[in-house]
Amino acid sequence: MNDDNEFELTTEEQEMLSSLRREREPGDLLEERVVRALRRDGHFGSARPSSRTLGKLTRIAAAVALFAGGVATGRYLIVPDAPQAAAATQPASVAREASQKRELPIPASGEMIVAETELWL
Amino acid sequence: MSGQVAISGKAQVPELGRVGQTSSAAGSDAALIAAAVSGAEAAFRELFRRHTPHLLQFVTRVLGSSSGDAEDVVQDTWVRAYPALVTFRSESSFRTWLCSIGLRAALDSMRRGRRHIAGELFDDDASSVPPATEDRMDIESAIARLAPGYRMVLVLHDVEGFTHEEIGSQLGIAPGTSKAQLFKARRVMRALLTGREKNNERRQ
Repeated sequence: MNDDNEFELTTEEQEMLSSLRREREPGDLLEERVVRALRRDGHFGSARPSSRTLGKLTRIAAAVALFAGGVATGRYLIVPDAPQAAAATQPASVAREASQKRELPIPASGEMIVAETELWL
Repeated sequence: MSGQVAISGKAQVPELGRVGQTSSAAGSDAALIAAAVSGAEAAFRELFRRHTPHLLQFVTRVLGSSSGDAEDVVQDTWVRAYPALVTFRSESSFRTWLCSIGLRAALDSMRRGRRHIAGELFDDDASSVPPATEDRMDIESAIARLAPGYRMVLVLHDVEGFTHEEIGSQLGIAPGTSKAQLFKARRVMRALLTGREKNNERRQ
């Protein structure tokens, strides 16, 4: 049977154990490696934008695209051929002028008055 | 003033101590932990600088291996420890708490590396017999030469000052097993230190 005391540490062994170094300086890069690993896991200020920031940016981009699309569509649908619009909406004198520019036959003044009146109604 | 840390992502970090300085220096561990938990990177870095030299030495000794392996385990330890900081309750010292995480990370590393499969570490294997040598060894080399199960128990008990109950809890073994391992570990270590030949040991 083993005697426990046989393997109690001697004073010399205790001194050797207590003289062991307690610290070891890590390599220069270890700290950065650890911080990078933690950032990858989403801790601290992650280098990538957060999902919340991404969502906000997406909403802004969608709003801008929607606005630009609306403007383009509006321009395409609402603004008709310029001379026709002028003839339909401008006073007779202006319409006549426009027609002259396009070298179209000048409508009779009575027809223009009728057209203008229809527009008012 | 010391220990006052704003709780925000840009928390003011207590005045930083030198590497290896103890927690009595400006900025206690508790204050740094609180700041780090709230996301203050600078506070975490200070905790890292304060405790990594001891953790690295501890892990190196437990692994009995190159510093490259030990640094990987230290990295793994901090990656595990940071999310768990919120659970740290100051019932033990931060150093002890961190070492217990480091010990688990070291065990996992050894198992991943297939150096030792789970359960083998504390088997009563042939490595209780010291290797043949006529040369006296210094104590650091002798510890590194011990079988992993012996080395862990000896480092935890004789170097770090853990009790057998704590060792049993950390390693998942009974306190009695820890005592038996320590008994054998000391015997082998003494043989290595004195350069006793293995034949002497084998007669026992």
